[in-house]
Amino acid sequence: MGIARTAKIESVAKLAARIPDGASLALGGSFLHRGPFALVRELIRQQRRDLEIIKQSPGYDIDILCRAGAVRRARTGIVAMEGNFGLAPWYRRAIENGDVELEEHACATLTAGLRASAFGVPFMPCGGIHGSALAELNGWQKLPDPYGNAGETYVIPKIRPDFAIVLANEVTEQGDARVFGTSHWDRIMTRAADRVLVVAERQVATDTFRERPELTLVPHFMVEAAAVLPNAGWPGSCWPDYEVDYPAVEAYLGRDEAALADHLAAAPEAREEIAHV
Amino acid sequence: MSESWSPFAYIVTNLARFIRPHEVTFSGVNSSLPMLACLLARRAYDFDFTYINVAGGVDPIPSSVPISSSDPVLAEGSTAIFGNEDFYDLCTRGGMDLCFLGAAQVDGRGRTNVSAIGDWHHPKVRLPGGGGGAVMLPTAKRSVTWRTEHSRRTMVETLDFVTAAGGMHGVVTPIAVFVKQNDRLALASWHPESSLEEVRERTAFDFEAGQARPTESPTQREIEALAALDPERRFETDAAIVLRKEAV
Repeated sequence: MGIARTAKIESVAKLAARIPDGASLALGGSFLHRGPFALVRELIRQQRRDLEIIKQSPGYDIDILCRAGAVRRARTGIVAMEGNFGLAPWYRRAIENGDVELEEHACATLTAGLRASAFGVPFMPCGGIHGSALAELNGWQKLPDPYGNAGETYVIPKIRPDFAIVLANEVTEQGDARVFGTSHWDRIMTRAADRVLVVAERQVATDTFRERPELTLVPHFMVEAAAVLPNAGWPGSCWPDYEVDYPAVEAYLGRDEAALADHLAAAPEAREEIAHV
Repeated sequence: MSESWSPFAYIVTNLARFIRPHEVTFSGVNSSLPMLACLLARRAYDFDFTYINVAGGVDPIPSSVPISSSDPVLAEGSTAIFGNEDFYDLCTRGGMDLCFLGAAQVDGRGRTNVSAIGDWHHPKVRLPGGGGGAVMLPTAKRSVTWRTEHSRRTMVETLDFVTAAGGMHGVVTPIAVFVKQNDRLALASWHPESSLEEVRERTAFDFEAGQARPTESPTQREIEALAALDPERRFETDAAIVLRKEAV
């Protein structure tokens, strides 16, 4: 059964309140690009704990969640701030201290696990991996080709996130969402997860979507709720609407406690909260 | 030499020299130097090749060179968005000719560690992770990596962790270019201001060097292409790569 075609737009705070402690979250985007960062920060304000983060290439998002002590487990392929900022410092410390448990993937193995969930099967073959110590580390199994045409292939177990959370350029009142430019792994995440939440830069008339239905990444019946907030991907980019705000990323990386508080206060959804009071 | 070949320009130029006509070449995340190499090859070489990147770009015409090698500007002017799932699938089905992949440590077989320094379970340094490496290194036709530091802790006899196997076709450092030969990395050439002895001294694994000689100097077109891509030497300054550490 799909989700009813009712009005689904709500505040970022209400969207975040749907996510309980301990939930597993597939976060859209890649590094500093097209991440649903407003919702990520709202989870910190709401003091969420024990989250599992599932993302091929997180950076700022997993770092700030680790900095706030909100993460229990990470399932990732590559983690960095990118640009000239190098490693994600609070994520790195959380792994080195053992505060966060890591399931290290190659990006494509994480995708394979998500595909298994999306396709409704318990595991998914994935090319490559041979010779990598990640296989033994994660207990990944190899299967022979039952048709006898090829050698052994690794199979990755299903990964089913509780939530997929993506940043869209546009959303309708009913929750249809579309993305301009690359959607990274957002599509497979929305098919793999149990529930889908959308953060969008703007709301547009449903007729706009009817004109170009092939641009829609997620149809409304799969979307539980959505929030509309311009600049929601700040300090990252959201093509073609805005680029990375590098000074803001640099300010976030400030070592003192105030840097985090200042960063959270400067975020676009912080102003939304004031507007809603 | 009248003007020295900066280690930054040395790495970018020698990465670009691995690019071949009519092939599909890929640059990924955290990969400013390969991104510059692909853009340099476009300008400096007369042949055509297909450049795809992690931002979904297919032969893009970016209006600027971004700090982040996954920046969506790298899909500007592209006639298609060839996204993350697509380029991984292309690679595993054998359609990726040349793939630039990052590494923290490289061993003599061209395997890489991008996971951890020290024990994986109790790391001294938690590294970013291999991204596509474990899947792409064994399935791409050729993969090439780069190290901005050439030392016995980066060019190792034994990796702290084998993130990706399958073997690099090429490795470029500030002082040397290695190319795979009989499943081992062999020295192809050294920086004109370095030497075979220095490369041996700073490499922990054994390697063949029978064919090795000083690297051919950059051509005028290679020099001009890089100057056009990095006119204010912003990338060169940020990368802060040195030929060798100053003696203390």
